[in-house]
Amino acid sequence: MANVRLEDIKKSFGNVKVLHGITLDIASGEFVSLLGASGCGKTTLLRAVAGLESVTSGSVAIDGQTVTELPPEKRDIAMMFQSYALLPHLSVSENVRFPLRMRGIGSREEQAERVKAALETVQLGHLAERKPRQLSGGQQQRVALARAIVSKPKVLLLDEPLSNLDARLREDMQVELIEIHKRLGLTTLFVTHDQEEALSLSDRVVLLNGGRVEQQGSPAEIYSRPATEFASNFLGSANIIPVTIESTDAGPVAVLADRQRLQLSQSEPVRGPARLVLRQEDLAIGKSGDIEGEVRTRVYLGARNRYVMVLAGQPVRVLSGNDHVFTSGEAVSLSIDPARIRVIAD
Amino acid sequence: MVKAVPTSIRIAAIVFVVLTALLLLAPLIVVVGASLTANQFVSFPPQGLSLMWYEKVLSSPEYLSSGLVSLMVALLVTVTATLVGGAAAIAIHRKQLPGSQVLASLFLSPLVLPTIIYAIGMLMFWSAVVGPVSLPVLWISHTVIAMPYVIRTTLAVLSESNPFLEEAARTMGANRMQRLWLVVVPQCAPGLAAGAFFAFNISFDEAVLSLFLRKPGMTTLPVQIYGQLEFSPDPSVAAVSSIMIALTIVLILVIDRLLGIKKFASA
Repeated sequence: MANVRLEDIKKSFGNVKVLHGITLDIASGEFVSLLGASGCGKTTLLRAVAGLESVTSGSVAIDGQTVTELPPEKRDIAMMFQSYALLPHLSVSENVRFPLRMRGIGSREEQAERVKAALETVQLGHLAERKPRQLSGGQQQRVALARAIVSKPKVLLLDEPLSNLDARLREDMQVELIEIHKRLGLTTLFVTHDQEEALSLSDRVVLLNGGRVEQQGSPAEIYSRPATEFASNFLGSANIIPVTIESTDAGPVAVLADRQRLQLSQSEPVRGPARLVLRQEDLAIGKSGDIEGEVRTRVYLGARNRYVMVLAGQPVRVLSGNDHVFTSGEAVSLSIDPARIRVIAD
Repeated sequence: MVKAVPTSIRIAAIVFVVLTALLLLAPLIVVVGASLTANQFVSFPPQGLSLMWYEKVLSSPEYLSSGLVSLMVALLVTVTATLVGGAAAIAIHRKQLPGSQVLASLFLSPLVLPTIIYAIGMLMFWSAVVGPVSLPVLWISHTVIAMPYVIRTTLAVLSESNPFLEEAARTMGANRMQRLWLVVVPQCAPGLAAGAFFAFNISFDEAVLSLFLRKPGMTTLPVQIYGQLEFSPDPSVAAVSSIMIALTIVLILVIDRLLGIKKFASA
């Protein structure tokens, strides 16, 4: 266990700037997600921590020691790859023993003990003598996880490790990752493009956009208080609606493109042209409410329905239960708690 | 459901396959058949049935000594071509060497260069710079023409391997040498084995270089067979050829046992 300190990390590939000076402190034992779309630099940043990518400028420190110039094999890290990268000619137990063998950790007997323990942690003790190609994708993934935790590295780096799994396995693995992190307390840096994964696993989410940190904070913080339009769009597919905010005696009011008015909370400071961020799960659809719209499409999701509505000429998504089903073309109203409306000034 | 192939095309395809198989196999059948004759002349179908020509081959000092030379050269070539070709393939695959594409073309050029030109050049070069031809010149020149096969088979295997294995090994603490021996070489193994098989075969039945670079007491088996055929053709030529066919089949079986013929064929 150790803290990680990234200071003003910049990285260019030729003329292309991928990272524009990223500073990030990760506390000992913290689980941090790097979240962003492809090309945002999240994997490059992870590889810079691993040492697989050199940085153009800036420094990487692990456990207080600067490692910027150290090759990966000299850093006390472990990394799990998207493709798992198991050594195909070695058995499962040999794969898991590999980092211990390379780093000269423990005697042969101690290594065997630790391999056994790591494989049992991921519930694969019975497959120790198989070759990787004889395992399913989910099992290979668990072997890769066992291999990453067996040496108790100072930092555990996970590069989209769940993206090749089907939905059910992915949920199982998320739970497993949370439990393993709780048990071992390894400082973990997790790269993902899946916001749900980032929100459910991490202590802290770092949202990257175009090689810069867009916003960071606890999952609840970043989800309920997105600071920018990009953040609100990326986290939880919010609806963004252009409005003009006017002051009235009753407090600030948002005026929509079709002149409909929506009361905002008293404490809202923004005036003039702005955009409202409305989360689809915060909106309630009904016969009477704050603003009027029309149902365009209903998507049945099993437990819920997703409606695409037209509000002031713009599509708006709403999640709703099954109690009452609205049909296409039906005129409906939307209600929303003013406290749940986020306003971003233009 | 795939659309049905017209009958005419189907028949043409069958004829084509049968003809190809026939043309591939017919010479082998004729050679093996002729080797079993009890007659003094190379004839097919064989006149009578006898193993006398095999006996003659195995008791002929010319065949035995040239066979020994061929075997020795082929084994040496297998070792050097596999080592150098394998190393070259790894270096080319990594693309870290400046001008590695030029090197790749250079290493593979013996595939397209007519052997006879290379043989003449080698003979002139060796005579001018080193001296009279000897075993080493045969060894070196066979290695040069066998090496591209090792490079090709090894590159084929490497291009299919997971490119992140070495990086993964780095994050697990493996240094350069450990990565080479514990990660890269095991990945190459099927390609190296297939390449070694090609190298042995190419050297063992190579005739052009051996003809130009021979000297008394250093005749290879193919040159010996050629000489025999030219000056006193008898069915011993067919018998020794049949032995070479058998040797190749045994090698293929061994490779199949070790690696599976599929992997070997796909390389």
